[in-house]
Amino acid sequence: MRIVRGEGQGVKGWRVTALLGMAVLLASAVTGSAGEPVLGDPRSMAFQPVEFSPPEPDRVVLENGMVVYLLEDHELPLVSVTVTMRTGSWLDPIDKIGLASMTGAVMRTGGGGGLSAEQVDAELEQFAGDVSIGIGRQSGSASLDVLSKDVPRGLEILAGLLRRPAFDPARVELAKLQAIEGIRRRQDHPGSIVGREFAKVLYGPDHPSARESSLDSITRMTRDDLVTFHRDTIHPNGMILGVTGDFKKDEMLAALRKVFGDWKKGTVPELRIADVPEAEPSRPVVRFVSKETSQTHLRLGHLSIKENDPDYVALAIANDILGGSSFRSRLFNDVRTKRGLAYSVGSRLNTGTHDQGVWLMRAETKLTSTQEVIERFVANIERMRAEPVSDTELAEAKEAYVNSFVFSFASPSAIVSRLVELEYDGLPKDFLQQLRAKVVALTKEQVQAAAKRHLRPDRLKIVAVGSGEALPKALATFGDVKEIKLSPEG
Amino acid sequence: MKTQPSLVSGEVRLPWLRLSRLAPHILQAFGVRPTFHEGRFTICAVVMALSLVCNVNALSAASPSFADRVIEHRLANGLTVLMVERHQTPVVSINITFAVGGINEQVGQTGIAHLYEHMAFKGTRVVGTTDYEKERPILNELAIVGTELDLREREVAVKGGGATADERAAIESLQKRFLALQTQAGQYVVGNEMALMYQRHGGVGLNASTGKDLTRYMISLPSNRLPLWAAIESDRMANPVLREFYKERGVVMEERRLRNDDSPNGLLFETFTSAAFRAHGYGIPTIGWGSDILSLTPAATEAFFKTYYGPNRATIALVGDINPKEVIALIERTFGKIPAAPPAPSLVTVEPEQRGERRVEVEFDAEPALVIGYHKPTLGHPDDDVFDVIDAVLSDGLTSRLHQKLVREKRLAVSVGSDASHPGVRAPNLFVLTATPLAPHTTAEVEAAIYEEVERLKQEPVSAQELEKVLNNLDADLVRGLRSNSGLASHLALYQAVAGDWRYILTSRDNVGKVTAADVRRVAAQYFTRSNRTVAVLVKKSLGKSVTAMSGNEVQP
Repeated sequence: MRIVRGEGQGVKGWRVTALLGMAVLLASAVTGSAGEPVLGDPRSMAFQPVEFSPPEPDRVVLENGMVVYLLEDHELPLVSVTVTMRTGSWLDPIDKIGLASMTGAVMRTGGGGGLSAEQVDAELEQFAGDVSIGIGRQSGSASLDVLSKDVPRGLEILAGLLRRPAFDPARVELAKLQAIEGIRRRQDHPGSIVGREFAKVLYGPDHPSARESSLDSITRMTRDDLVTFHRDTIHPNGMILGVTGDFKKDEMLAALRKVFGDWKKGTVPELRIADVPEAEPSRPVVRFVSKETSQTHLRLGHLSIKENDPDYVALAIANDILGGSSFRSRLFNDVRTKRGLAYSVGSRLNTGTHDQGVWLMRAETKLTSTQEVIERFVANIERMRAEPVSDTELAEAKEAYVNSFVFSFASPSAIVSRLVELEYDGLPKDFLQQLRAKVVALTKEQVQAAAKRHLRPDRLKIVAVGSGEALPKALATFGDVKEIKLSPEG
Repeated sequence: MKTQPSLVSGEVRLPWLRLSRLAPHILQAFGVRPTFHEGRFTICAVVMALSLVCNVNALSAASPSFADRVIEHRLANGLTVLMVERHQTPVVSINITFAVGGINEQVGQTGIAHLYEHMAFKGTRVVGTTDYEKERPILNELAIVGTELDLREREVAVKGGGATADERAAIESLQKRFLALQTQAGQYVVGNEMALMYQRHGGVGLNASTGKDLTRYMISLPSNRLPLWAAIESDRMANPVLREFYKERGVVMEERRLRNDDSPNGLLFETFTSAAFRAHGYGIPTIGWGSDILSLTPAATEAFFKTYYGPNRATIALVGDINPKEVIALIERTFGKIPAAPPAPSLVTVEPEQRGERRVEVEFDAEPALVIGYHKPTLGHPDDDVFDVIDAVLSDGLTSRLHQKLVREKRLAVSVGSDASHPGVRAPNLFVLTATPLAPHTTAEVEAAIYEEVERLKQEPVSAQELEKVLNNLDADLVRGLRSNSGLASHLALYQAVAGDWRYILTSRDNVGKVTAADVRRVAAQYFTRSNRTVAVLVKKSLGKSVTAMSGNEVQP
C-alpha cells in the first residue's frame, strides 16, 4: 500500500516544459562543487544543476490541416501515435448529455474503415496492437501503440476508425447498456459522489464542466446521433498527432499521408465554455450527502483562475506550499503528520485555458474528526492570506520545481505530448519556459497577494459525504447546511 | 501498480480529471484513480503481468543483448544490486525491494509490515530530528506509556460494561502523561524531512508499497543526485527511528477506512480472500484488521524491522543514466557498512486442502459484484504457467472468451476479469475471476455463465490461434515493459525478490510458450472444481433514506 500516491513533478497542476539547458542558479541548489560530493549528512549535500537539452520534435502540417509532431527514438521496436481532436462533451446537445462520450466509445468498438467490429478486435489483438479512442469534456483523443513492424496495418485500422467508423448497431446498443449500468453504479463509491457533487455545486448542475448523463439522455440516443456527432465534429484540420518511436520520419509522413491525406477539411467546432457568473460572496455554502460510510469524504474550494491569468504562477506556488506538494505541504504536515487525521490530504489548483479552474482541498477522515479537519483547512488558508510564506518554504518550492524539471522530458512521448497539449490549448511553445522564469523570480509578497486574491474563505463551497445525524451538526458551524438527496439512479 | 480486475465500468470522470491527459501525475498525487486498487493486489498482479509478458525473443527483439545489459553485484552483507544503463536522459529510477510483507506477520500483529513501511518515512537518528539524543529518552517513555494505555483500554473494552471509576482514573492519568510526552517529543521533530530532501533535489515518484509478499521503496532522481539517495537510504536501512508512531497509526486507520471499509470492492476482496484462506496468512488483509492496527506497539514494530529489514533480504535495482562502477563503489561505501541480519523465521503454515465450496456475502450500499477463486500452486510449479495462459484466454482483451460471451453476446455483465496470482506468489495462491453484472441480470446468472466457460476449458481444447495470440501479446507487452526506467527497475527487483533471480523474467515466457491445449484441459479439470472454489458476492444494502425516488439530484434544506 502506498504511503502517498505518487509525487508530482514540481508544482502540481503545472505543465512543465522548458529549456533544460538554461541553467537557473538557485543559490541553495548549486552551491556544491563539481567534484565528488562528500558522503555523510544528506541535509548538507549540494549538486550541480542538471544540464540537458531534450531533442526537438519536428512539426509538419499536412495539406488538409492535420498537424503532426514527430520524434524518432530507436531504442525499442515500438511506435506510438496519439491523436488529439477538437471535439468534446461541451458540444453535447442539451437533451443528449453523454453523446460525445458515447460517440468516442463506439468509434473504437463499432468497427470502421470497411472492417466489422469483430474484424477490428480480432486483427488488432492477434498482433498485439493497442488502439484507443475516447472523447472527454474538452478534447477527443485516440492512440495507436504497436510493434514497429505493424505500423502500416495499425495506421490503416486507426484511420479507418477515425474517418469512417461503422457504428455497428449491436455495439451502439451495448455501449448504451453499459452507460446505463455506469449510471446505476454512480452512487456506490463515496469518493466519486463527493467529486461529482462538488463540481455541480461549483459550476451548477447544467454547466458543461459538471453536467452528467442520465438514464433519459442515454435512452434517447440513437445510432444516427452518433453518426451526426462524428460527422460534424471530427475533422483532420482539428487534429494534432504526436508520433514517437522506431520509425523514419519520411516514411512515417508518407504512411500518414496515405491513410489521412485525402481526408477533406471540415468546419472545426469552436471550444468556448461559458464562465459561471460570480455571486456576491457571503457565507460558505455547505452541502452533505447521507451515505453509510466509515469516513466523511470532504471537498472544500471554489472556482478559480485560468492558466493564462497573470496571477497563475504565484497562485500555483501558493497552492504548492499550502497543500499541493504532498509531504512538503502545510496541509499534509498539519492534518496528516502532526494530527494523524487523514491518509490522503492536500489541495489542488486545476486550471486550463478553456474554462474556469478549480481550487480545492480534500481529505477523508472519521466522523468524529470531521469538524477539526475543516477547521484546519480554514485556518491554513487564513494563514496563507494573513502572512507571507517563509523564505525557506519558497526556496524549497522553487528548488523542487527547477530540479525536477528534467522529468518533463524523460521520454520522447513526454516531450511530444507537451507540445501537442500546448498547441491544443493555444499556448505558446515556450509557455513553460516563461512559467519557469516567473517561478524563479517569484517573491513571497507576490505569493501572499495571490493567496489573498484567490483563496477566499468567504467563497468556500464545502461538500461532505458521510453518515449519521452528527454529520450536519459537525458542518453547521461553517455555513448554511443543506442535504443533497441523491436519486437512486444517478 | 496494477490492479484490480475491473469490477466497475462506467468510470466517473470528475471535472478536474479533465487535465489527466495533460498531467497524469497530478491525479496520482491525490489518489483519484478510479480504475486502480492497490494493496491486496500490489505484488501478485505485477507478477502476473510480468509472467505473461516476459520473453526471450521479445527481449532479443528489443535489444540484442538485453540480458547482458543487466549488471549484477552482490555485497558481502548479502545485498543484491541490479543495474541497467540508459543514457538518453540524465535521470535514474531506483527500486529497493525487501522480501517482507504481510505473509511474515503473526496473529494479533496484522498490518505491522505496512505500518513499518509508513514509519520508514519518519527519519533516522540524523534525518527528521533536531536532537536525537534529547529525543530518544522521551520516545522510549512515550512507547512505554502508550503501550500501557492501549492495554488498559483493551481490558476495559474486553470486559464490557464500561470502566469503573478506578479504571477511568488510571486511563485518564495515562492519557495525560501520553499527551504530554507526545508534545515533548514533537519539539524535536522535523516533519517529513527525508521526503523534503528528495523533493528539493528534484526527486519524483517518491513512494512505497506493501503487499503480502514484498515491501518496496521507490524514487526517481536527476542522476547526479545518487550520493544523496545512497546517504538517505543506507541510513534508513540501518538506523530508522520510529517517531510520531501513534499519529501514524491513526493515519493507517484512515487508510483502512478509505481502502477497505468505504470501498465496496475493497471490502468484497478482503472478505473473499479471508474466506478462501483459513489458515495461511494470505487470508489476512495487508493493511491489517482494525483492532490489530490499534494494538501495534513501537517495540513490536522495531522488532519486526530488525528481523526482516537486513540488507540480505533486499534487492536494489537502478535503471537510468548511471555509471555502474561508480554506483557499486557508492553502494559499497554506504550500504556496505550495514551488517547482515540473522536468518528470519521460516514460513510455517500451509493452507489445508479445501474440502467443499465456500460462499460469503458482503452487504454494502452499492450495486452487486462477484468474485470466484480457486486454489492453485504458485511460481515454480509447472501448472502455474498454464494458469497464465488460461488467464489470458479468459479475460485478456475484447476477444477474450469471457468478454465475448458474458459482455457482448449474453449481455449479462458490464465487465469481467481474472487474475492468476491472488494475493501473492510466495505461497500457493488463487486463480480469481471477477464480474460486474449488468442489471437486471443477477450475480447468480453471471456466476452460472462463468462456470459454463470454465467447463468449456475442460471439454474442448483452446485453439492454436488463441495460444498464438497469448504469446504475441506476451512478447509485445514485454517490450512495452522496457519503456520506462521505473518500470524496468520494478520488474528486475520484483523477480529477484520473489524468484531469487531476475532471469525468471526470461524463463517464465519460455515456459508459457510450451503450454499446450492439452495442458489447459488437464489443469482446468484438476483445479476448477466446485469443492476447490470460494465465491463472494457483494449484495446491495440500501439506506432507504438516501434513495428516495426523485428525478435528478435535488438540494433540500
